Amino acid sequence: MAKRSTQRATHLRLGRLQRIGLAGLTLKLCAQLYLDIVRGRAQLDLPAFAAALRQAGLSVLPALSLVAAAAGFILGHQASQILANIDLPRAILVPLIYAVVMELIPLLVGVLVAGRAGVALATRQAALISSGQVDGLLVSGLNPIQFTTGPVLPAMLAMSFALAVWGSLVALGAALAWLVVFADVPPYLFRDALRQALGPSTIAEALSKPLIFALLIALIATSQGIAAGRDVAGIGRAATDTMIGAVTAILLIDLAFVLSPWS
Amino acid sequence: MKTLGIVRRRRRLPHAPSSTLEDDGQHPNGGSETIIELERVFQHVNGRCALNDLSLRVHRGESLLLLGPNGAGKSLSLRLMLGLDRPSAGRVHLFGEDLTRLGDAPMNRLRPRVGAMVQGGSLLEELSVLENLLLPLRPRPLAHTQRARAVRLVVTQLQLDGMEHRYPRALSLGQRRRAELARALINRPELLLCDGLSDGLDRPALRDILEILRVLRESQGLTLVATENDLLDLVGPEDRVAVLDRGRLLFDGSRATLEARTETDLELRTILEGHP
Repeated sequence: MAKRSTQRATHLRLGRLQRIGLAGLTLKLCAQLYLDIVRGRAQLDLPAFAAALRQAGLSVLPALSLVAAAAGFILGHQASQILANIDLPRAILVPLIYAVVMELIPLLVGVLVAGRAGVALATRQAALISSGQVDGLLVSGLNPIQFTTGPVLPAMLAMSFALAVWGSLVALGAALAWLVVFADVPPYLFRDALRQALGPSTIAEALSKPLIFALLIALIATSQGIAAGRDVAGIGRAATDTMIGAVTAILLIDLAFVLSPWS
Repeated sequence: MKTLGIVRRRRRLPHAPSSTLEDDGQHPNGGSETIIELERVFQHVNGRCALNDLSLRVHRGESLLLLGPNGAGKSLSLRLMLGLDRPSAGRVHLFGEDLTRLGDAPMNRLRPRVGAMVQGGSLLEELSVLENLLLPLRPRPLAHTQRARAVRLVVTQLQLDGMEHRYPRALSLGQRRRAELARALINRPELLLCDGLSDGLDRPALRDILEILRVLRESQGLTLVATENDLLDLVGPEDRVAVLDRGRLLFDGSRATLEARTETDLELRTILEGHP
């Protein structure tokens, strides 16, 4: 029932609540698929999984590395300017490290993954529907999710996690390099600030954010792709709506993290 | 002349159960088991009534050609028969199951009994022809040899030898349609639904496919429903034809009856010949 409901939705102009419902339906179908894979009743589409790994990870890596290094240098420079006036290195370094690991990198990873893998997923979903390929899968008795979100979601989760770790290391390394070279900050001070800023719970929260963002991006991309309809123009619309929806959702979820009592 | 080869061995029933508009009660009905039944179906698309009180029955071993201009509701009817869409009102029965109430699991149990060629390019672009052909076999626990045999059979039937490892984008439109038909037939379905049967096919290729379908009908008792804009010269005089226009069923009967009717019925003649 759920599968055909997903297909039928292509005829409708979907409102916000309906899109949320569609995202929930996608999540349910993905969960069913993974359960079937674990039970040996279904197979993960490995070529699609590998393609998604490339799309969500490797293709984003150069841009993330560059942006993270640039952000690290900028923050290192700003910190050194402040340190020249206020000699309280820990009071400056701790928030800097916290901001990089907790906010800057997860948001950056979220935006880049949304722009690359999220948009690719939405356009693929929309193209499959407009070209009739989804119909071909349905009449073959196959769940289209196996060929779209099914393999892409785990790839996005894995690569978002890896990118968050990599981006944090690059940004912190760049900031440290700037501070050591241009502000004469001894490395041990930075190390102490790092320990103070990043407790186990902070690290866990920082690394869980990109996972939640990846899940959101995949669900938004799928629902936008399905809602795009059967016309070719819908493919472009799905891409734009995915990017806007994903960035908005990422920022709102981050705000919820910040305001949550356990944060 | 090649025809859909449909009705030669059918007996006629005096009271055709396909109670339809304009039906003169003389359209041929084959077996007694109803495979498809559309019962007072209405379908609204974007606020427009795309199917208007459509009732239609197809019996086992029978074949039906749905004719009509673009936007007549042929593809929509086929999508309803396939369970891809649900009607706004009315009932759709497939093999006795009410599709308007059927869940995914029972629907998937019906799928192997139905082969379908849907409108547009339904082959998955990133899969080779062979992988596409194997798609309908995925849900079934078949041995490798059984799969290989099934593939070999349809590849030979549809003259796709040497194309198994090509990707759909490397195929001509006619080859793609043949591959789609091969995929539709790989499960040896009881019912075949073809949307735009002749799309992309030249006359010789179409004749070959019609010949294959004729053989399948005779050897396996395949039930066939196809849609076309205009294919009357490929239909035999006894073949069943239904004419749709703007979601309404205007005629349901044999081609011979249709031809006789078009002599006097201005609306039918306008739809079929493009002029009164």
